[in-house]
Amino acid sequence: MSPYIEVEGLKVSYDGEHLALDGVDMDVTENELVAVLGPSGCGKSTMLQVLSGLLRPIAGTARIDGKDMTRSSSDRPRVGYVFQDHRLLPWRTVAGNLELVLEAAGIPKAEWDVRIDRYLDILQIGQFRDAWPMRLSGGQRQRVSIARALAIDPAVVLMDEPFSTLDEVTARTMRQQLVELWQESSRTIVFVTHSIREAIFLADRVVILTKGPARLLEDVEVPIGRPRRYEDADITELESQIVDRVMGVWGYEEPAAA
Amino acid sequence: MASSQTASTAGPLLQPGRRWWSGDGSGSDRLLSALGLLSFVALWWFGSLTSDFVPPIGEVLDAVPSFLTEEDIYADIADSLTRVVVSLAVAVFVGFWAAYLMARRGFWGLVVARYVDLAIGLPSTIAALLALFIFKRSEIGVFVVVVIACFPFVAITLRQGFLSLDRRLSEMSGVYRFGGISQIRNVTIPHLVPFTLASIRNEYAHAWRVVVIAELFAVNSGIGWRFTQAYDRFLLVDVALWLLVFIVLLLGTEYMILRPLERWVLRWRGGAQ
Repeated sequence: MSPYIEVEGLKVSYDGEHLALDGVDMDVTENELVAVLGPSGCGKSTMLQVLSGLLRPIAGTARIDGKDMTRSSSDRPRVGYVFQDHRLLPWRTVAGNLELVLEAAGIPKAEWDVRIDRYLDILQIGQFRDAWPMRLSGGQRQRVSIARALAIDPAVVLMDEPFSTLDEVTARTMRQQLVELWQESSRTIVFVTHSIREAIFLADRVVILTKGPARLLEDVEVPIGRPRRYEDADITELESQIVDRVMGVWGYEEPAAA
Repeated sequence: MASSQTASTAGPLLQPGRRWWSGDGSGSDRLLSALGLLSFVALWWFGSLTSDFVPPIGEVLDAVPSFLTEEDIYADIADSLTRVVVSLAVAVFVGFWAAYLMARRGFWGLVVARYVDLAIGLPSTIAALLALFIFKRSEIGVFVVVVIACFPFVAITLRQGFLSLDRRLSEMSGVYRFGGISQIRNVTIPHLVPFTLASIRNEYAHAWRVVVIAELFAVNSGIGWRFTQAYDRFLLVDVALWLLVFIVLLLGTEYMILRPLERWVLRWRGGAQ
C-alpha cells in the first residue's frame, strides 16, 4: 500500500542558518494512528506545521494523499489541527468557532448544525454548544478543539501534544476517548508527543526522532493488542525498552554508579 | 463547575489582593458611591456657607424647574453633544490608523509616533487658542481641537492592541484557511474591540472637557459658551446649573450607555471553571 502521508528528507530552517529539521523521513498509511516521539524542542511541531501548509521547508517533500503540502494550492487536502493550547476564538461561542472552520472549508451551511451537534456530542460537550470558551475548563476547551478538527472531515488530523497541559486524570480520559474515536471513525492521525508511554498507549507505530535538529531515529511497531490500559505491563516493558534506546541519543546520561 | 458553585455559596469572601473598598458591584459598592455623592453635597454646602462665589444648594435646586423649561438650553446641549460625538469618532478613526502605522514601525510609523508625542504634550487650552488663531471663530476649530487632544491617547491604546495580536490565533486561522478578509473580520477586529472600547470610554470624558474649553474661546453656542455667558454676568446659579448639566451628561452617558455597551460587547470574557 502506498503511503498516505509521505515525508522525505524534510529540512526546515527558521533563520536560514540553523536547522530545525535535518532531513526527516516518515510514511503513514491511510487510517493509521501514528505517534511522533521526540524530546522537547527537537522539531516535532515544526514537522506538523509543514504538513499543515503553515511552513515551507528549505528541502524535502511533504505529501498528503499525493498532494504536495509545501506549495500553495487550492487542491491541497483539508487538515484538522489540534494544538497544544486550544486556540479557540474567545469572542465566539463553541458553535461559532466550529461554524468558522466549516465556512472556511466550504462545507454547505445546511450541514453545519448537524455536524456541530454530532461532533460535540461525540466529544461529550454538546451541552456547551452556546457557551463561551473562556467559561469552559481546559479539558472542555481541548475537546472543542478536537471537535473543530474533526468537523471539517479532514484528510488528516494533526495533534500537537494536545493533552500535555491537562491534569493527569483528564488527560487519561481524553487519550482513551481519542483511541475510541479513531477506531470508530478510521481517520489518519499523526500525534506528536514527548511522552513515551502516551505514544505507546495511543499508536500502533511510533516514529522516534533524534534531538534537534530532528532526523528519524527509529520506527517502532507497537505489538500490543487493544483495548489497552495506560498501566498495562506490556506498555511499561516497551516503554523501558524505548527509554534505553533513546537515552544516549536524546542526550541524557544515567548517573554513574556510586 | 464545582469551583464556581463553591465560590457562589461561600459568601462574599474577599479575593486575595482585593481591598474591601475597591468595589465589587454589590451593596458595599453602592454604599461607597452614595458616600462619595454625599461628601460632594457636604462640600458644596460648606462652600456656600463660607464663600460668596458658591450658590446655596437650595437656591440652585429651586432654579432647576424653570431652567429645564428654557427651550434654548437644549440646542446648546445638542451642539456640545454633537461636537463631542463627531470629534471623538474622527479621533478614533485617526488614532486607529496612527496606531496601525506605529505598530508596523518603519518610516511612517516613526513619523506618526513623533506627531503623537507632540499632540500628547500640547495642553488643550493652548490647542484651543491656536485653533482660534487659525480657524477664527469657526465651528471647525472646536472639532480640530478635540481631535488633536484625543487621538494620541486612542493611538497609544490601540497600538498596544496591534502589538498584542495573538500569533497563535493567526496560525490557527492559517491552518483552517480562513482567508485574509475572514481573518481580519473574525480574529483581528474582535481582538481590537476591547482596546477600542477602552479608548472611547477614556476619551469620552476627555473630549467633553476639551469641548467645553474650546467653546469658551471659539464659538457662540454650546455648554462652554453658556458657562462664559453666565460667569461674565456673575450669574452664579446659572453657572452651577450648567455645571450640573455637564456632570449629568458626562456620567449619564458613561453609566447608562458606554459601560452597559462595553459589558454586552465583552460578554464573552469570564473566569474559567
